Amino acid sequence: MKDLTIHAASYLGPEGFGNDETGLRAWPAPLKENLSRGELDGLHWSLLSASDPSRFLRMDLMCRIGFMATELLAVDFDALPEARRESLGVIVESFTGSLNTDIRFAQTPRPSIFAYTLPSTVIGEICIRHRLKGPVLSLIAPDTDGANALTEAAEWLRAGDAEMVLCLGIEAINVSTAIPFPCRKLSRHTAGTARRCCWDGLKICPAKNCSSPARLGTFAESCVPCRNTLAKTNRGKLRLHNTLWNP
Amino acid sequence: MNKIAIAGCGVVTAAGLGMEALQRAVFSNASALQRRELLIGKTSQSVVAGFVADEITAQLRGADAAHADSRAFLFAAAALREAVKNAATILDSVPATRRGFVLSTTKANIEALDKLVRQQPVSAVAQRQIQPAFLAADLAAVFDCRGPVQCVSAACISGLSALQQGAAFIQRGIADVVFVAGVDLISQFVLSGFNSLKSLDPEGCRPFDKSRIGLSLGEGAAAIILVKRELLAAPAILLSGCGTSNDANHLTGPSRDGSGLALAIQRALAQARIAPDNIGYVNAHGTGTPYNDAMESLALRSVFGDRVPPFSSSKGIFGHTLGMAGVLETALCVAAQQNNLLPGTPRLRERDPVAPDSLLVEPRAVANLNYILKINCGFGGTNAALVLQRELP
Repeated sequence: MKDLTIHAASYLGPEGFGNDETGLRAWPAPLKENLSRGELDGLHWSLLSASDPSRFLRMDLMCRIGFMATELLAVDFDALPEARRESLGVIVESFTGSLNTDIRFAQTPRPSIFAYTLPSTVIGEICIRHRLKGPVLSLIAPDTDGANALTEAAEWLRAGDAEMVLCLGIEAINVSTAIPFPCRKLSRHTAGTARRCCWDGLKICPAKNCSSPARLGTFAESCVPCRNTLAKTNRGKLRLHNTLWNP
Repeated sequence: MNKIAIAGCGVVTAAGLGMEALQRAVFSNASALQRRELLIGKTSQSVVAGFVADEITAQLRGADAAHADSRAFLFAAAALREAVKNAATILDSVPATRRGFVLSTTKANIEALDKLVRQQPVSAVAQRQIQPAFLAADLAAVFDCRGPVQCVSAACISGLSALQQGAAFIQRGIADVVFVAGVDLISQFVLSGFNSLKSLDPEGCRPFDKSRIGLSLGEGAAAIILVKRELLAAPAILLSGCGTSNDANHLTGPSRDGSGLALAIQRALAQARIAPDNIGYVNAHGTGTPYNDAMESLALRSVFGDRVPPFSSSKGIFGHTLGMAGVLETALCVAAQQNNLLPGTPRLRERDPVAPDSLLVEPRAVANLNYILKINCGFGGTNAALVLQRELP
C-alpha cells in the first residue's frame, strides 16, 4: 500500500483564515454574522491584487469560499507541468451544497446565478483558474465532515487514478442573505446552530508530518455535520430548522 | 479486484413507466417529448419537453400517500422497485448491511422550493427532500440499504459519476450490492434557468441536426442495481471502466476542441483495458445544443480517428434528464446490448455534416454488441465516460 500523507492544508471560516504554514489569522474586523462576501472580497484583494477580479465577483458564496481556500494553500499550481495538472483530481464535499444560491435563484431567477445552483460549479471555477483536467467528484453527504472526500481521494491515489487530489469541504449558508427571514429573527439557538454549521474548525490535522493514513494533495476543510433543513413556519416564511438526521 | 455486474434496471420517463416502455420507444425510434403551456417566471410559455405523464404520477401518488407531493421520491422509488424486482433472486442472499446506495441528482425535489417561495403549501417530507442528502437517506432507508450511502451532484455527469461510486463501493469490498438511482424534475426553477440561458429549443431538441438550436428538458428517474460479479450465475453485462475529467475552460459551455471529453473517454477505456476499436456503439450526450454536439464530434474523432463507432443520442426520446441522464442512458445501453440493437437518434431531420458518418439515424440490429461507451458532459466543464462489457457465454 502506498504511503499517503497530507501535503498542504488551508482553512477559511468565521474564526479566520490560513494554511498549515501560516497558521490561523483573524479577520481584520470581527464578523457580525456568518462569513460573507465582504470578508472574502477583502481576502481576494490582498492575495490576488494583480488579477482581474471580475470573474471572482461573479461567483456565489460557495465558489468564493472554495476558490479562496484553494488560493490560501501553500501550493504553486502554476509551477506544475501540464501532465501533472491532468492527473490532479478535485473532490468537493458538502451537505448544504448550493442551497444558499438555490434559494436566491428561486426568489429572483437570473441567468448569472443559474450556473451556481450546482454544488459542482466550484470545481469548474478552480479547474479553470489552475487549468486542472484530472478526475472530478462532487459529493453531497449527510454525514459530511470532510472524511468522505478524504476517503475517496485516498482510493484514487491508491488506484493510480490521480497523482494528487485537491479535497474541499465547503458549507456556504449565509442565513441573513439567503432566507427572507433575517438571522436576528431566528432564535438564538437556531442562529447559533446555523453559524456552527457554516464553519466549525479544522477537523483534519493539516500538519505535513501527520500520521494520518491519507496522503492528499491538499485539503481545505470547514464543517461539521449540518443538520438543517428548510421548513415552513406558521407565518408562511422560510427559516432554518434544526432537525436530526436519522437514516 | 471485484468485477461489477448489472443485475437489474428500472425507469420512469416520458416514454412511460418501466423498461419495456423505454425499449418500445428506443426500438421504434419514437420521441416522447410533448408540448405544454407552462409558467416560466411570470409569463406563460410553450415548452417542448419529456414530461412524465400525469396518469403515471397519479398512479404513484395513489400508492404512496406519504410522499404524494415529492415527485422526486415517487419517481425514484418506482424506478428502484422495478430494478429490485429484476434483481430479486440475488438480493435475497445479501444482508442489508452489505447493500450500498448512491443517488445522482442535480436538484432533488426542487419543486418544493418553488412552492415555498410562492407561499404554497408543501409537506414536511417534500421540504426535507429539497436537499439531495435527505432524499438519498430516505430512499436508502425505504430500500433497506444499511451499507454506505452517498449522493453525487455533479451537473449532467452525476449519473455516470454515481455509477462509478457504486462500482467503487463493491471494488473496495465495502458492499456486495449497490442501488444506484438517478432522479430530476422539470420544475419552474430548472425551466427558468435554462430559459434564461436561451438553451431550450422551442420546437424540441434535434441532436446532431444541422440546424439544431438547443435542448429539451426531461424528467423522471432511473435505477440500476450493481452487484459483485460472483453473485450472478449467467453471463452478465459488466461495468468495466469509468473516467471523468474537467475541461478547465468554461462554466456553462464545453471546450471547443473536445479535449476534456477525450481525456475522460481515454481514462474509461484504460480502466476497462480495451482499445478504442473494441467499442461497438457510443451513446452520446447529444443534447442538441450547437456547441455540445460539435464538441462531441471532435472528441470522438480525437479518440477513434476515422473509425468512429456507430453512435447516437437518445435525448430526442425523453429529453435531457440532467442528473439522472447517466443512469437512464446506461439502462438504455443495457437494453440495447441485451437485444443486439443500436439505438437511433429520434427527431434528427438533417444530419450535421460535422458529425462523423457513423451517426445512427434509425435503430439498427447487429450480430454482436460486446462493448458500449456511454458519455456525458455538464456545466462546470465536467466530462464522464463509462464502458459496458457483455460477457460471452
